[in-house]
Amino acid sequence: MASLQDIRRRIRSVKNTQQVTKAMKMISAVKLRKSQERLVSLRPYASKMKEVVYRVVASVKGRPEIHLGPSATALISPREEKAIRVVVVASDKGLCGGFNANILKRAALFLQENGDKRVKVDVVGKRAFDWARRRGLTLESEYLGVPLPGLQKVTREIADAAAQQYEAGEIDALYVVYNHFQSAVAQEPTVVKVFPVELPVQPMDAKAEIPHLLEPDPNTILETLLPRFVETEVLRTLLESSASEHGARMAAMDKASGNAGEMIAKLTLTMNKIRQAAITNQIIEIVSGANA
Amino acid sequence: MAGHLLLEVVTPERRVFSAQVQEVMFPTAHRGYYGIKPEHTPVMTPVGNGLIYFTQEGQRHWLTVFGGFAEVGPDHVTILARESETVDMIDLPQAEADKQQALKLLKEAQTEHDMDEAQASLEASIIRIQAASHPGGHGF
Repeated sequence: MASLQDIRRRIRSVKNTQQVTKAMKMISAVKLRKSQERLVSLRPYASKMKEVVYRVVASVKGRPEIHLGPSATALISPREEKAIRVVVVASDKGLCGGFNANILKRAALFLQENGDKRVKVDVVGKRAFDWARRRGLTLESEYLGVPLPGLQKVTREIADAAAQQYEAGEIDALYVVYNHFQSAVAQEPTVVKVFPVELPVQPMDAKAEIPHLLEPDPNTILETLLPRFVETEVLRTLLESSASEHGARMAAMDKASGNAGEMIAKLTLTMNKIRQAAITNQIIEIVSGANA
Repeated sequence: MAGHLLLEVVTPERRVFSAQVQEVMFPTAHRGYYGIKPEHTPVMTPVGNGLIYFTQEGQRHWLTVFGGFAEVGPDHVTILARESETVDMIDLPQAEADKQQALKLLKEAQTEHDMDEAQASLEASIIRIQAASHPGGHGF
């Protein structure tokens, strides 16, 4: 049996760990709030943007008399996917439960599903980078250790590069694999196709009986709108992932703090038992000595 | 509410403005200002740089806007702005400094790219100064 000293030492060490996990949980909570604020303020913009794009696309679809420029045509008319570009978004740091494992599993599955195509991969986050290197993937670009305000620049670079490649015919679609932020404790690994724009099967809303006037013309609108749409979508996925990461870390650290507490309670109990046993032994010795 | 428009201005960073107004006027990217009253026919159009004017209870107010997209319906105007700010968000001394800086850059510009950047920054600072000091000539 371990000595009293050993157990005391272990309790101290577990307490230290618990302090670290508690601190990390607190930091994650603050970071989560920041990411979540950014995400929540972007979501109305993103959903409105999507709605507008769908509306414009729906109004020009199947009307050959409307002349569209090459970039507008390209982004809305799907072609056979022979080469695709996929952005895998994970985190830079670990200690966030199954966050990275889940998303990388999803990404691996996605690569497997698209094994017959040429796939270009971008990674965001050190964990995704390590994963890609282990698999021997060649990367289009990698973004490691990007802070929250820097995400916008990352977004622009990815969106611009992908749009250029798309127009040049080098890729036929852009996908993002990321953790969708459902709540502080729930994330969902998600694959989203950013472009070409696919119309939802259901019409957006029934109340739009009067078609919108498109000023000055549909082509100009699509050409100004689509690059922003792509950027907004990519930015949204990055923010979703950031919020998810901090949520996952907060949950993991909360669990860890709880486990540490349990462990301390167990060790304390053992320690008290051993101490009591020692005292009892001493008393027995004294009593039997006195009797003799 | 009849005779009212819901004006919403959202940027990727935040919801800048959302309230019922009587009239809206915003700059388009291609030709001048667009004036909107309630029951306007639905329109979608790119937004340019300038000031968004709106009337609320007879009072005229304005916001800055730098690029974006507008969706107009009979009872609402939604502006997806690249950037937008209310008057009290503008730092006037900063805008003045930006203007001087932009003028300086414009004189020193070597490449076309520098020139464009300086021009854009100059335009933005002028719009901000205009918004903070006086609404300028675009009356209703």
